[in-house]
Amino acid sequence: MAAPLQPPPDPQFVLRGVQSAVNALHFCRESQAQGSSLLFSGSQSGLVHIWNLQTRRAVTILDGHGGQSVTWLQSLPQGSQLLSQGRDLQLCLWDLAEGRNAIVDSVHLESVGFCKSSILADGQPCWMLAVPGKDTDEVQILEMPSKTSVCTLKPEADAKPGMPMCLRLWQANCSSRPLLLAGYEDGSVALWDISERKVCSQVSCHEEPVMGLDFDSQKARGVSGSAGKALAVWSLDGQPSLQVCSTHELTNPGIAEVTIRPDHKLLATAGWDHRIRVFHWKTMKPLAVLGFHSASVHCVAFAANGLLAAGSKDQRISVWSLYRPRDSATPFLGESEVGGRHFTAA
Amino acid sequence: MAVFDTPEEAFGVLRPVCVQLTKTQTVENVEHLQTQLQAVSDSALQELQQYILFPLRFTLKTPGPKRERLIQSVVECLTFVLSSTCVKEQELLLELFSELSTCLYSPKSQKPAVVSEELKLAVIRSLSTLMHSAYGDIILTFYEPAILPRLGFAVSLLLGLAEQEKSKQIKMAALQCLQVLLLQCECQDHPRSLDELEQQELGDLFASFLPGISTALSRVITGDFKQGHSIVVSSLKIFSKTVGLVMADEQLRRISKVQAKPAVEHRIAELMVHREEVWVKNTSDKLGILIKKIIESVSVHPHWKVRLELVDLVENLLLKCSQSLVESAGPLLKALVGLVNDESPEVQAQCSKVLRHFADQKVVVGNRAFADILSESLHSLATSLPRLMNSQDDQGKFSTLSLLLGYLKLLGPKINFVLNSAAHLQRFSRALIQVLELDVADVKIVEERCWNSSELSATPEAPAARPWNQVQRRYFRFFTDERVFLLLRQVCQLLGYYGNLYLLVDHFMELYHESMVYRKQAAMILNELVIGAAGLEMEDLHEKHTGTNLEELREIVTSILEEYTSQENWYLVTCIEAEEEEELTVKQSGLQAIASAAHTCQVTSFPAFSKSSPTICSMNSNIWQICIQLEGIGQFAYALGKDFDLLLMSALYPVLEKAGDQTLLISQVATSTMVNICHACGYNSLQQLINQNSDYLVNGISLNLRHLALHPHTPKVLEVMLRNSDASLLPLVADVVQDVLASLDQFYDKRSASFVSVLHALLAALAQWFPDTSCIGQLQEQRLKEENHMHQTPATLEASTTAEDIEQFVLKYLKEKDVAEGNISDFDSEEEAPSVPPEADKNDTRPDVEEPLPVQIQIAKDVMERCVHLLSDKNLKIRLKVLDVLGLCVVVLQSHKNQLLPLAHRAWPSLVQRLTNDDPLAVLRAFKVLQTLGGTCGDFLRSRFCKDVLPKLAGSLATQAPISARAGPVYSHTLAFKLQLAVLWGLGPLCESLDLGEGDLNKVADACLIYLSTKQPVKLQEAARSVFLHLMKVDPDFTWLLLNQLYCPLQFTPPHPRLHPVRLQGAPTQQNPYAANVFYLLQKLGCPSQVDAAASPPCQPEARPSHPADAGAAALRRR
Repeated sequence: MAAPLQPPPDPQFVLRGVQSAVNALHFCRESQAQGSSLLFSGSQSGLVHIWNLQTRRAVTILDGHGGQSVTWLQSLPQGSQLLSQGRDLQLCLWDLAEGRNAIVDSVHLESVGFCKSSILADGQPCWMLAVPGKDTDEVQILEMPSKTSVCTLKPEADAKPGMPMCLRLWQANCSSRPLLLAGYEDGSVALWDISERKVCSQVSCHEEPVMGLDFDSQKARGVSGSAGKALAVWSLDGQPSLQVCSTHELTNPGIAEVTIRPDHKLLATAGWDHRIRVFHWKTMKPLAVLGFHSASVHCVAFAANGLLAAGSKDQRISVWSLYRPRDSATPFLGESEVGGRHFTAA
Repeated sequence: MAVFDTPEEAFGVLRPVCVQLTKTQTVENVEHLQTQLQAVSDSALQELQQYILFPLRFTLKTPGPKRERLIQSVVECLTFVLSSTCVKEQELLLELFSELSTCLYSPKSQKPAVVSEELKLAVIRSLSTLMHSAYGDIILTFYEPAILPRLGFAVSLLLGLAEQEKSKQIKMAALQCLQVLLLQCECQDHPRSLDELEQQELGDLFASFLPGISTALSRVITGDFKQGHSIVVSSLKIFSKTVGLVMADEQLRRISKVQAKPAVEHRIAELMVHREEVWVKNTSDKLGILIKKIIESVSVHPHWKVRLELVDLVENLLLKCSQSLVESAGPLLKALVGLVNDESPEVQAQCSKVLRHFADQKVVVGNRAFADILSESLHSLATSLPRLMNSQDDQGKFSTLSLLLGYLKLLGPKINFVLNSAAHLQRFSRALIQVLELDVADVKIVEERCWNSSELSATPEAPAARPWNQVQRRYFRFFTDERVFLLLRQVCQLLGYYGNLYLLVDHFMELYHESMVYRKQAAMILNELVIGAAGLEMEDLHEKHTGTNLEELREIVTSILEEYTSQENWYLVTCIEAEEEEELTVKQSGLQAIASAAHTCQVTSFPAFSKSSPTICSMNSNIWQICIQLEGIGQFAYALGKDFDLLLMSALYPVLEKAGDQTLLISQVATSTMVNICHACGYNSLQQLINQNSDYLVNGISLNLRHLALHPHTPKVLEVMLRNSDASLLPLVADVVQDVLASLDQFYDKRSASFVSVLHALLAALAQWFPDTSCIGQLQEQRLKEENHMHQTPATLEASTTAEDIEQFVLKYLKEKDVAEGNISDFDSEEEAPSVPPEADKNDTRPDVEEPLPVQIQIAKDVMERCVHLLSDKNLKIRLKVLDVLGLCVVVLQSHKNQLLPLAHRAWPSLVQRLTNDDPLAVLRAFKVLQTLGGTCGDFLRSRFCKDVLPKLAGSLATQAPISARAGPVYSHTLAFKLQLAVLWGLGPLCESLDLGEGDLNKVADACLIYLSTKQPVKLQEAARSVFLHLMKVDPDFTWLLLNQLYCPLQFTPPHPRLHPVRLQGAPTQQNPYAANVFYLLQKLGCPSQVDAAASPPCQPEARPSHPADAGAAALRRR
């Protein structure tokens, strides 16, 4: 808890001009970007901004959700395609190749909740999409791009976990069975076997609704954040069954999103207390509390090269360069290394 | 001319003369013969050549002593004959040659004969003519081994003459003759050039003479400068050609190992030279010595033609004998390279031509030996460079650097061989760094300040031819010649162009880090390296060389830029000021920098963190450091062109920050850097540059605001940006403004000054970006009125009152009286005169309480809230600024009364404090705010004004009046006077806008009446009149009565005798000090005047003329 002599780290840069709260962030995969990295941001006002991280300016603005908040963004591994989920109950598929920016397809959603969707895609033309379903506690699995419904995952009648709050599709390397991790309103996390349409395992890790979860399939460990003060780390054993490994008490309640860095080294959380917290993913040791935003942080995202972006209600997106992975090239100008400074939450 | 065309005729004429000459050999006879010869045609003469020559040769051959005069005339005659005819027989040629040669030789003393100069000249000319007259290939038969002795004899004779004679004429003639003899004549009489074989033979032949010719000529060449340049020029020419012929690589290559048996007798064969390897080696060694001597002497020869000839010599030798004379290549190249920057343009041009030719032919690069020699020279030059730079004077430095430049140019990409050696690079850089040391003792640099820091006045002009080469004039410790600096820059640019940029940048970066002493020079060199690497208009001798590619260059520039703008290199202490003292304490790194800089000025370094003030030297040094870095950024922009756009995100903010620096030099350089960036990146103006990159700036500003202690100048940048942007910036700035306000709240006590000025800039910008159309007109109208001093009011008031008007008025008055007394009868509400048009209320009707406020309104609201607190700041300066900001807030908020009024309510108590209980300056400003406020929310203020402010104002006016009445002319410069004036000018419009009631008007009038006295200063009178003019508009009757009570110019005679005569207090006495002003005002009020028109107001003539101008200005502003 020693007071750092050096000034607290600054974001590497800040993206301005969204003019509305930032709800979703997503880094474009390197292969898709022609020459420069891109960052997508979805705003409360329904716009998707595409930022060029080299010039730090918005390249294009996509308007496809009729002014309704954009809650989730995801790019597809193949082609320059972007999925955006909006509160206008549309999930749009954008074609961004060669400067185009047109909606090529859209899925109508039936849930008005805040649940973000999830995809399972590995470069093949067919991919799987999990979206919140029609009934409040349902999750619907679609096969894309045909939009055929695979199944609907509905908890057993007596379970009553409430609405799904966050979804995560994944597939173990060894098996071909797609699995779904879902965080529910009652604070539990459930593992669904999609092919059998049943819950394999369920663990109750929060007292408040689960707001976000991320899963590290290498270590078979996941983390979830809730509206409460706790951050829960759970693991999956071979059965497969979920077990809570540890919980971490935070100073202030409310985690909007949790994200594990692609290299499985760091974990970042978006706090309602305006702060971004960074943990060592393996040990869960708190590494840094990044204070910059003046309103609650809604989303955090990691780029493949380690860059961290956070979007906040204060309409700004802060981009941080922390503990850069050693092997990553540094395509950004004016790099200032923040790594090495440890200081914990006050 | 010729009289005798046929040989027969000529023979007839010449025969007796020839016979006569043969018989008696006298000068007269010879001359006679010559005169006769002139009448003979050339063809006839050719026929009779042998015949005519006979007596002449006979005369020469006759044994026994002869008179010189005779010989001379014979030789001259001979010359005449030979010049008109040609020699067709080898025998004759040989004989004549020998006979002429012997004329100059005395066999007894084995030395050139002691004869008169005229004779020598005649013989030399004759020899020259003889060689020219040889017909066709006859001349070649002359150059055969058998002739060698005779030829050698002549050559040595001529050399002796050229060397030892005193007469310049003879020397020249001898040299020219030698030229002819060696077949180097440049005249047109030699129709064909020699083929290879012939050349080879000539080479063999002349090889025997080479030692003699070269040593003799080198003595001539290195002789006294005074002997005349033409002699040296021809000697150089002969030397060059002879050496070039004998030592030609091409010939030597073909020489066989074994000497062919010459077909001549043994004695002659001994004289012949076989040009085999050993001989070549020996000869070239000896020639090397001579060449070195020649170069040493000639390269500093005062006459340019000589130096030009040297260039030709170098070219000739290097082209022809690069292998045989490989030892001399170094000196030869050095000579050439040294002449590249010769003061004579001809030499320069020739030199560069030759160099380019060499480069084209790959003489240097293609030739390993040459390249080695050059590298070696460069090595040795690099080694001695530090010493030379230390010891030489400007001229010496100039020539050394020219030489260096030439080497670099010639070597091109191969300079890396030298640079790759760490020791040599070290020496190189040490020399450059040493010689580039700046003189930083100039005090003016620190002293000069620029005060209007945030105005970016410079406009980009048309870029000059090589804009990146324009730098601020600087002064160096070790040289004063500007040319030396130019050379140094060229050297650095060439290094950047050809050298390994990574290596060089790395090296100089290290030096930059190493010590504060090197930092400025290293930065200068780095700048030039980048320019060179970009290859901007670089004249390249090596066509295929491609410079550093753009991607790499950008990376390098990025890293240099990062270094330049890093905290410890960019924020250096450049001034000591009371204001900045608090900042100094937090600038730890800056102080450290100073500490390390201090020893440049032989000041013992003081510990960091100490508060001892930095010396002028170190501050100067810092200023230069920043300037050089700034210039560097501009040059980088040129080097990268459009690509620099990407670097703007990190570069623009620091540059803009420096543009607002207080030191004039820094600010100027920063501004010109911005102009350079504009040019390089294609922006039309600084405004455009700032405006289009405001997002980058905002980023820097917001991040720096977080660490305000480290970046105390951040608010200034924001200020500059606000001034140079438009409304499109607002969405970007909104959150920064919130940051600023948050920081202000946090650093309430320490940094409010800089924040308040930001707020001022912000509000000024907002007021400008969002002019409230409905209110701005009103405001301006109000201002117009103020400035107009009520000049349109008389027009409305002067309209003559008719009887009906009076009737109407009385009726209305009665009716109102009735109402007032409670006797309400039915009356038309329409008739009720609206007291004041409720214009101000119109804006109040917006029902937009629920909608989010526009950003600018929200900002203004937030700012005004802070102002309320800051109004009572301890610091007067801040209070004044805050008052200004407050005024602007009111202007911006005037369209949003719902926001403005509560804030005005909250601000009122402190504003009253400012008005009543503060420094006069603050009172002045506060009064201005009050006026603005009155203009926008009059009703709201009325009662407060009357209760809180008016009594105090009136009181102070009253107490000040006697003082100003008594005061002398100096009084008009006092603050009290200004305050009086401002209050008086302001009261009128205020009364009007607040729509004061009768009682309060009375107070105002009472307080101002005193100022109508002519005892008051003229300006105060004028201001007081304006108060009454405003009062007239509010309540004309009351004003009339009041004025008349003071001074009544008219006697009011009742219209009917039954009415009481009206007695007003103001008696029309001449002593009344109020007479003039009151009279003027009454006139304006439209009272009929009976008094003589002479009673015009005392100051009217001087006050009047300004009014139309003011009105015009106001009208312009409205437009």
